[in-house]
Amino acid sequence: MSHYRKLLGVLFILLLLPTTLSGCGFKDIDKRIFVVSVGVDPAKNSDKKFLVTLKLAIPNVQEVSNEFLIIAEEGDTIAEAVRIMKAKVDKELDFSHAKLIVYNEKILKPEIEKNLYYWFIRRRDFQEMSWVAIGKPSAQEVLKLKPKSERLPSNSLFLILGKDGSESAYVIAEFLFDFKKRFSEKGLDPLLPIIEVKKNIFEIDKVGLLDKKGLKLQLSPKETMILNFFVNEEPKTALKIENGEQSFVIDIQGVKTNYKLMTDSLKQPYIKVDIKLQGRIEEALFDVSNKNLRQYEKMANTFTKKQVRDVLVKLQKSKVDPLGFGLRYRSRHFEKDDWETWERLYPEIKFKVNADVQIKDTGLVE
Amino acid sequence: MVGKNRYFLYLVILNMLTNVIIFVPKYLIQYRFDGLILSMLLATVIGIGLMYLDTIVYARFPGQGLPEILDLGLNKPLKIFVLVGFSFFWFIAGLISLLGYIDILHRIINPELSKVWLLVAFLVVLGFVIQLPTRKVMYLLEIILLLNVPFIGFVFIKALTSDYLNWDSIFEVVTHAATVPKLNPVAIASYVFSGYANIIVFNRLLKEKIKSINFVIIFFVSLLTLFTSVFIPIGMHGSDGVQEYIYPWIMTADSLRLPYSPVERVVFLFLMLYINITLISVSVHWHVAFELMKGVYKSKKSKTNNRLLMAFFFGLSILAVLRFDFMHPELISMYWLIARFFVEIIAIIGFFFFLRRKI
Repeated sequence: MSHYRKLLGVLFILLLLPTTLSGCGFKDIDKRIFVVSVGVDPAKNSDKKFLVTLKLAIPNVQEVSNEFLIIAEEGDTIAEAVRIMKAKVDKELDFSHAKLIVYNEKILKPEIEKNLYYWFIRRRDFQEMSWVAIGKPSAQEVLKLKPKSERLPSNSLFLILGKDGSESAYVIAEFLFDFKKRFSEKGLDPLLPIIEVKKNIFEIDKVGLLDKKGLKLQLSPKETMILNFFVNEEPKTALKIENGEQSFVIDIQGVKTNYKLMTDSLKQPYIKVDIKLQGRIEEALFDVSNKNLRQYEKMANTFTKKQVRDVLVKLQKSKVDPLGFGLRYRSRHFEKDDWETWERLYPEIKFKVNADVQIKDTGLVE
Repeated sequence: MVGKNRYFLYLVILNMLTNVIIFVPKYLIQYRFDGLILSMLLATVIGIGLMYLDTIVYARFPGQGLPEILDLGLNKPLKIFVLVGFSFFWFIAGLISLLGYIDILHRIINPELSKVWLLVAFLVVLGFVIQLPTRKVMYLLEIILLLNVPFIGFVFIKALTSDYLNWDSIFEVVTHAATVPKLNPVAIASYVFSGYANIIVFNRLLKEKIKSINFVIIFFVSLLTLFTSVFIPIGMHGSDGVQEYIYPWIMTADSLRLPYSPVERVVFLFLMLYINITLISVSVHWHVAFELMKGVYKSKKSKTNNRLLMAFFFGLSILAVLRFDFMHPELISMYWLIARFFVEIIAIIGFFFFLRRKI
């Protein structure tokens, strides 16, 4: 009898055991508050390292419902700051809709601490396809801005970066998983869009380039656009061909870029870069005519060639490689030390740019 | 391809699909600079060779499973030893995919729900399915594959056409192809082919000889599966960084975006599809284990024995889920994957010589 009782007791305990493990269980949606973006700044008011800011969406059924709440906390690590912030809100913080991570520029210089991006990947609730960006003047300012055209908190940035709304060639969006990949992949360096707060609007037209450690270089809007020809082959833009009084603007409709490394058995290794642009003339400072299209194309070619070359040389000078020339070299060479060879090659390599601009017509006006 | 031959194809394809869940890509990725490609090719040759041998053996006994074949003439202790041994092995096979998937659900969907409850939810369904007659399990497998494979194919194509799939990273791994193949990756990669082993019970449904066109199909499909399941994560997460992820495929699915679908994150679609695939995979394995054990005792209709057996299966899996919390499920599955390879070779060679001579 006592044996049975023991057995029953064990069974009973086994049945009870799971209930002790289950913790708080599933929480209803009205007991959760959704974080839409996260910002990381250097701390100002204490000896802690960082200031972590969360932007929380406040659900609200009005026509314009981009109401939000900003909470911030300083801490030496993000996790620490977030735990303290949990005590500041009445509901459970839910990160599953946090689609934007903004770093202050100062965090990335001279070197970003690895845990600042690994934390987001390590946690299960962050999406791998959250966007990452640099915030100016600070990450918190970016989170705090409430643009007039926005309907849901942070939605305007999601629309710009996701290219669901406005499509701009000045925006190079970067996802979290790709950002992390570029840190570890030899020969492919990270890049981040820069979100600047200008009064009441966002200005996203620059890109920050990093090496494996931190921020090295910031490109101007024009250089960003040219880089984007290579990164996304993003065509929706206008290219101004500057040539004194003979300047004109091409509305770009198609971009095709390609590069080839010419490094084998050559005294002077070079990278052959081909860029093919298609479009029509949209604006000109002088009278243009459909008859002289070939002549304009020639002007455009020489101009584009120089612009592209300048950008590529600028990247090379700063020792960053966001386009993955190094990875291309590694993927085409079988030697074990191909990466070391490339590290020697890259600072001295030349760029030979071939531009092929095709102008279809001068628009509706002859 | 025609007629009942397709049942064999389903069994093989099922394992190709589950490989993503039970850490096969993760372990293969560890060897990406270290003989991966040659190992995968070698595994293909070995896998298809074993598959062919096994079908030759079972073609001699059309419509009979191992329990029925052994009944024809084998002394009893040996018969019991063989059946119990294989049954245990199939049980472990099912258990490992089940625990692996429960771990994923626990980590990603709801960490607050205990693993035991997740397991119990699965066991309720499994308890119903594995008792079904072999034919009905096969029907269920057919239906689930037909419903899920198109969507899984969609996820694979979505990944393959992603802008963030860097082909240079993939080629970088390919440039390391000329390294000597290693035993571990060969053993692990051959898992993709080992679905044929379920034939030891499912041969009851195979009345015709398997045509060689099936092997040609399997050869191409398996090469495609093996290479995509390893190289897509490498392309998405980089040749130097991909090994940091415990679940390369979950991360890859989470890196895909469907901006115009009701759910933007592909990972949830992926997990939902794989609930079905895991469930049917475990059902098939445990059904084999169950049927083999049933072959041990004489009275086939004995309900008490069946119930005891089920209780034993379920009790053991609950115990495992409780204990595995303190170990590394991924390590256990690696040891199992390698052990499976050798057991498979020994078993097939044993079948080949033994089943011919005896009967």
